[in-house]
Amino acid sequence: MNALNRAWKYITRRPTKSVLLMITFFLIGNLVILGLGISQAAENAKVLTRKQMRAAVSYEVDYEKFWDYINTLTDEDEINNAYNNYPRINKETAEALTQDSRVKAFNFTQTAIGYSLGFDHVPVGNEDTKNTDYGSYIDENGVAHEYREPDIMIYGTQYPNMIEIADETYTITSGRFINQDDIDSASPHVCITEEMADVNNLRVGDTIAFSYNDLNYIDSLVQESGGEVSADDFREEYEIVGIFNNKNQVDPNSENFRWMSPYESPQNILVVPMSAYVESMLKMTTTEQKLHPEYYTDFDEEEYRRSMTEPSRIIYLLNDPLEVEDFVRDHQADLGEYLKLNANNETFKKLARPLDTLSFFSNVIVWIVIINAVVIISLVTALTLKTREYEIGVMLSLGVSKVKIVLQLFAELFLIALLSFTLASASGSMLAGRVGDMVLDYQTASEAEYSDLNNEGNYYWYGDNNYFTNVTQEDLLSQYEVKVSPVLIAEIYVIGTLVVMISIIIPSFMIMRLNPKQILLEQN
Amino acid sequence: MSTILKLENICYGYIDGGFKREILKNLSYEFEEGTFYTILGPSGSGKTTLLSIMAGLDKQESGKVYFDGEDVDKIGLYKYRRNKVGVVFQSYNLINYLTGLENILLAMTETDNKLPGNKSELAYALLEMVGITKTKADRMINKLSGGEQQRVAIARAIASNVDLIFADEPTGNLDTETEKEIIKLFQMLAQQYGKTIIAVTHSNEVSNLSDHRVFLNQGKLTDL
Repeated sequence: MNALNRAWKYITRRPTKSVLLMITFFLIGNLVILGLGISQAAENAKVLTRKQMRAAVSYEVDYEKFWDYINTLTDEDEINNAYNNYPRINKETAEALTQDSRVKAFNFTQTAIGYSLGFDHVPVGNEDTKNTDYGSYIDENGVAHEYREPDIMIYGTQYPNMIEIADETYTITSGRFINQDDIDSASPHVCITEEMADVNNLRVGDTIAFSYNDLNYIDSLVQESGGEVSADDFREEYEIVGIFNNKNQVDPNSENFRWMSPYESPQNILVVPMSAYVESMLKMTTTEQKLHPEYYTDFDEEEYRRSMTEPSRIIYLLNDPLEVEDFVRDHQADLGEYLKLNANNETFKKLARPLDTLSFFSNVIVWIVIINAVVIISLVTALTLKTREYEIGVMLSLGVSKVKIVLQLFAELFLIALLSFTLASASGSMLAGRVGDMVLDYQTASEAEYSDLNNEGNYYWYGDNNYFTNVTQEDLLSQYEVKVSPVLIAEIYVIGTLVVMISIIIPSFMIMRLNPKQILLEQN
Repeated sequence: MSTILKLENICYGYIDGGFKREILKNLSYEFEEGTFYTILGPSGSGKTTLLSIMAGLDKQESGKVYFDGEDVDKIGLYKYRRNKVGVVFQSYNLINYLTGLENILLAMTETDNKLPGNKSELAYALLEMVGITKTKADRMINKLSGGEQQRVAIARAIASNVDLIFADEPTGNLDTETEKEIIKLFQMLAQQYGKTIIAVTHSNEVSNLSDHRVFLNQGKLTDL
């Protein structure tokens, strides 16, 4: 006849009190499940959506903050000084960030559009409908030249560990990718897409040529120079070291498909070492310098190289999308003024606002319910304890310790709570699902009334590549589903146990003060 | 016969209307084992207080209580109540949401004393011994008569295999016929099982059937 056994006999043989307590616990259980279920569903929806998003973080200049600073300046010299010393990405900081164990890959690239020489670009598919008249220009000798559309995109990469390789957007199908040796030695090596190789029957080891300028323009410059420069000075020859499959494809349904230039097609990308890219740019600039030295009086080769390798933005791809916020928080302080790590969180936070509100109020409800539960159960237990003083006195006279008596009281409440919460797990999940949907619908409707969520929901394109994932509020809300998971049920039982434990504190003090002689003498 | 319980200079009092009222004054007495004692005395003489102190339900202001030569304070009151003594009250003091059997099992579970055999079987046997059948033993306490409840209370008092049983007006709520049966039970426990019974009573019928009568007056115990 231990405490648990006695507790069970008490609750089964005193059904009225037990049923009343059970109803109380059942209601509490339902409300707690309602609150926790809704809150957890909101959190889950956010986590699931976050997981679907690319774990990209961009290290970039915080232009908004910088313009705000400029706007505070009144002195002309100060304004000019600020413009001349505009914020720049710190290369050392950028490289230090790559050492963070959460970083999977990073892109520090420079891009330029170019013109294929002696090989064809991959057709976009809009050639039949697209207007190819780009107009013409007249050179210094009065000769008219037609503009030729650039057809390739050259990526100069500073590091071989590119995001596209790490996340398998690019998969090498032949040869290899640009490696550190290529970068260190500025080797004229290039990786091209499978489609480009197929169209031109190119293989690893073949050489391709391209130019960063239109041939017509180059011709005019050659003629203008009177033989001082040749077309070769603008010609870049690169050996193919790798052929890759690019998962990104032209989307014929996209808005800009009709006007899309070949260089915008993912199949017309060429990846080269950034050092080789810089050397090509330097060669071109030196050639132009020969023609127009007056434009290059202050030209400094080293300074030119430095500026060409100065990143305007670096993208880091993390291992886990859920680590993005921590990564930003951990490094933000080291970046310097007017620089930021952009994880596109603001947009995500705006999208998640209805869920956050829902989660906040659900948690408030849970706390209110728990506090009320403790107060109610404490009072009920304390009040009913008066009617059980005689029983306690008897047990004390038999030498049962007060701790065991408190334990029996706890066991009684715990068993009732256990049964009630088990019943509440079933009813609470249905309740939470319906109430959660209703509140979320109302919340979403209210938000939509005051803000244009669709516009806020689209992640912007930045430069030539979008490393963030486009999500809309519909995507986010589609993940919202109230489920009573095993974890939630475990939480309910833990909360129930804590409520019972806290509720038993006041009655326990009352028991500790009881004296068996007084109780039993009063009875007799 | 050896002494089972020894009282040495027991003092006890309380404040009443700003004055201290002394109930027990340097009370000393020795109780022998295997004897049925009754303590008599006028109302308010402190009989129940004395019984409470002897049973470990209350603590004396000064003086010592020795059980089998051991200081009760050193044993500890809870342990003393659990393992050394049993108490029978006028109003039985049984737990009313338990059956007769379960009330016995409660005492058996709590004691640290070794009990022979299966607890349930032993409890049924004890109840049988005090005149409670198996059918009645499985009934809830409030389904039993007063006399039956008092028999269960006596069985509970001896269930933890103790040698000393206290009884506070054990027949106060019973009719004459039942009173006699309860007295017989006490006599049997003292004579056949060597238990020491110390009962506080107003009843001359009870005290006349005891082995030894003691009178409490002016805070002192005297043999009659």
